[in-house]
Amino acid sequence: MTDTILALDGVSKTFKSKPAVTDLSLEVRRGQITGFLGPNGAGKTTSLRMSLGILAPDSGQVSLFGGPPRASALDRVGFLPEERGIYRKMKVIDVIVFFARLKGVDTATARQRGLVMLDEFGLADVADAKVKTLSKGMAQKIQIIATLVHEPEFIILDEPFSGLDPVNQSALEQVVRKQAQAGRTILFSTHVMEHAERLCDKIVLIAKGRKAFDGTVSEALARVPRRVLLETADCADLGSILSGLGSVRRESEDGRDIQVVELAAGADAQDVLKALVAKDVKLTRFEPVRAQLHDAFVQLVGSPAETPAQSETV
Amino acid sequence: MRAIYLIARREFLSYVATWGFWLSLLSVPMFMALGFGLPMLIESSQPTRYYVLVDETGGRLEAAVYDQIDRSREEEVERRRDVATQMLGDNPQFQAALESSIQLEDDRYVRIDAGTTDLEALRPYLTGASELDTQDGAQPLFAAIYLSEPAPGDVRIDYWSNNLTDSGLRSQIRNALRDQMQLQRLVEAGVDPALIAEADNLAPTVRELNPERSADAAEVTEGDRLPIFVGVATAFGLWIVIFSVVNMLLSAMIEEKGNKVLEMMLASARHHEILVGKLLGVAAVSATLLVFWGGLASMAGLGAQQVMSAADIPAADILAALFSPGLILPAIGYFIIGYLMYGALFLAIGSLCETIQDAQSLMSPMMLVMMVPLFLVMMAIDAPDSPIVTVASWVPLWTPFIMLVRLPQDIGLVDIVGTTMTMIAMAFAVIWGAGVLFRMGALNQANQDTVRGWFKLGGKKKAAN
Repeated sequence: MTDTILALDGVSKTFKSKPAVTDLSLEVRRGQITGFLGPNGAGKTTSLRMSLGILAPDSGQVSLFGGPPRASALDRVGFLPEERGIYRKMKVIDVIVFFARLKGVDTATARQRGLVMLDEFGLADVADAKVKTLSKGMAQKIQIIATLVHEPEFIILDEPFSGLDPVNQSALEQVVRKQAQAGRTILFSTHVMEHAERLCDKIVLIAKGRKAFDGTVSEALARVPRRVLLETADCADLGSILSGLGSVRRESEDGRDIQVVELAAGADAQDVLKALVAKDVKLTRFEPVRAQLHDAFVQLVGSPAETPAQSETV
Repeated sequence: MRAIYLIARREFLSYVATWGFWLSLLSVPMFMALGFGLPMLIESSQPTRYYVLVDETGGRLEAAVYDQIDRSREEEVERRRDVATQMLGDNPQFQAALESSIQLEDDRYVRIDAGTTDLEALRPYLTGASELDTQDGAQPLFAAIYLSEPAPGDVRIDYWSNNLTDSGLRSQIRNALRDQMQLQRLVEAGVDPALIAEADNLAPTVRELNPERSADAAEVTEGDRLPIFVGVATAFGLWIVIFSVVNMLLSAMIEEKGNKVLEMMLASARHHEILVGKLLGVAAVSATLLVFWGGLASMAGLGAQQVMSAADIPAADILAALFSPGLILPAIGYFIIGYLMYGALFLAIGSLCETIQDAQSLMSPMMLVMMVPLFLVMMAIDAPDSPIVTVASWVPLWTPFIMLVRLPQDIGLVDIVGTTMTMIAMAFAVIWGAGVLFRMGALNQANQDTVRGWFKLGGKKKAAN
């Protein structure tokens, strides 16, 4: 059994002479949660569609479960697209059974699993309701169940958190963790870094169709300069004191004068504190800043990612 | 195959669950019942019209009118008897039933004695202010007719009535008097009345003969013409079924695209499987309709044929011609290929559109294409060998309709095989092209503007050339 579930090798795709994805290579390994990150229009959805064979790449190779993305391979994949929708006039349980049967599950098993999952999602009482009678949030949960009901080895979620309220975002994070604990491989795209930071073993950053980073979250965070925020009672210039530990610049925060130390390689916040205490600097604030994936994203891609609050408006 | 089956099954069940399907299913038997019953209902629901006729010549014109009306009635009854004998044979039971059921339209005008012939006294009955006592209860007077002859040969009819649209009685009286006046004039000129009657009945006997048959079987009968009429009816039926079905496909496709289900489907099935599944699902819906309708018609037709055969009635042969494989098999073949061509095209159009409004701009040229065969079918009835009809039958999108009318008319084998092969090739090309469009449309990589752009690009290229 191969450890590589999905491999893109030098894949490119162009629409109307505009490159959407250029020379993209990545690997998704068995049992990992991989985040596929990038701003809107970066080429994430196109890459995922090529991964499933929904779109054919102009060049490069796609390998799903060790071969081209054929129907037999697709049966082992659960895909939740970014544009979500299900048959509104069908009953909830019938929709779930239909998608499970498309993936090769027999009707009785599909029905049994569907009812169990509806119960887990707190939707047992709507099993026989028409989808059109459900709220948008409930309909999204039904679609997630339809994506997972055939117990796929590999789950691909395209912007799964968009359109969900914070409570449901948190619930979906739990679902992702539970699926991962059950040994499933997960690849999800998002432009909201916080989800990726909490969930992912590995991230792939993409911008303007090109890969910008491929590695673990901590490797990405290591690319971000570590910083310490300082305030002093007398606004003394600390540049000369800390010159061996990193660069110091002044910034204004809520009308107050603060100094930001970007630590040099090998230096850490404790060294800064020791140096300042040794010089009897009257500190009113000493705040080592924890690096975040958002900062790594800005560092690697050169443009800001969105916050969850911003993403809600998308 | 699994995906195609499941998609087709889902499509079929989703249509069958709609009110529209059941209404469509029951519409044909309902319309058949209405088609037979409505004329009889209208006929029986016509009110009896009571009228007063006053002959100011002392009864001479009145006698002439009623003589003529009685003669016309006898002639009409005789004509109907002849038609029935031709259709049903000389069966005494049927003849007796016919005799008792003959009801002529003019029988609803009933002369009544109002107790007065004075117009002023009759006026309240004519305007509806008063009513007369009749066998149907109190009724207004429909008309008061005054016949006079102020000068020899100058016959006048004064026709008083509030009803301006029902002209049956007025025509009946006028025609009767006209015939009487013409006869009287000829008699006055010295022509023997017997000779006039004989001259009225003179007409040539026409024998229509088919040169491809031996002399003893050459005469062309109504049964020979029947396949042509059946072909025309089948062509129209085919057009209506295809048109209804492709519209179902189009609206379902637009709804599905609006619901954004397609991308999830594409992760489970390939675009051609979705396309074919949908086509088959809707084909199963239309097959269900056709089998039900056809089954009803066959049961009624075959039942009637058995009864007629047992009674040795000639119409049984006509019914047998209706159910001949020579008509039914080509109709099935043309339906399948025509449905696949138009169905794939409409699915592709649906995949490019978000709403029905979007679809309308792309539908207009398609509707024009679909309307043309209706006119050509009418033309093909009289002139199956017309160059326009012949050329049009080679246009694959029109072949299914026009060839159904041309087939019973002894056309060449080259035409049959050639048009069919061209149509099949076109069907494959259309399905392939529709698949490409469907794939692009399903993922929003193309829309109706894209199609317009292709046409504009084509126009520009032509202009550049």
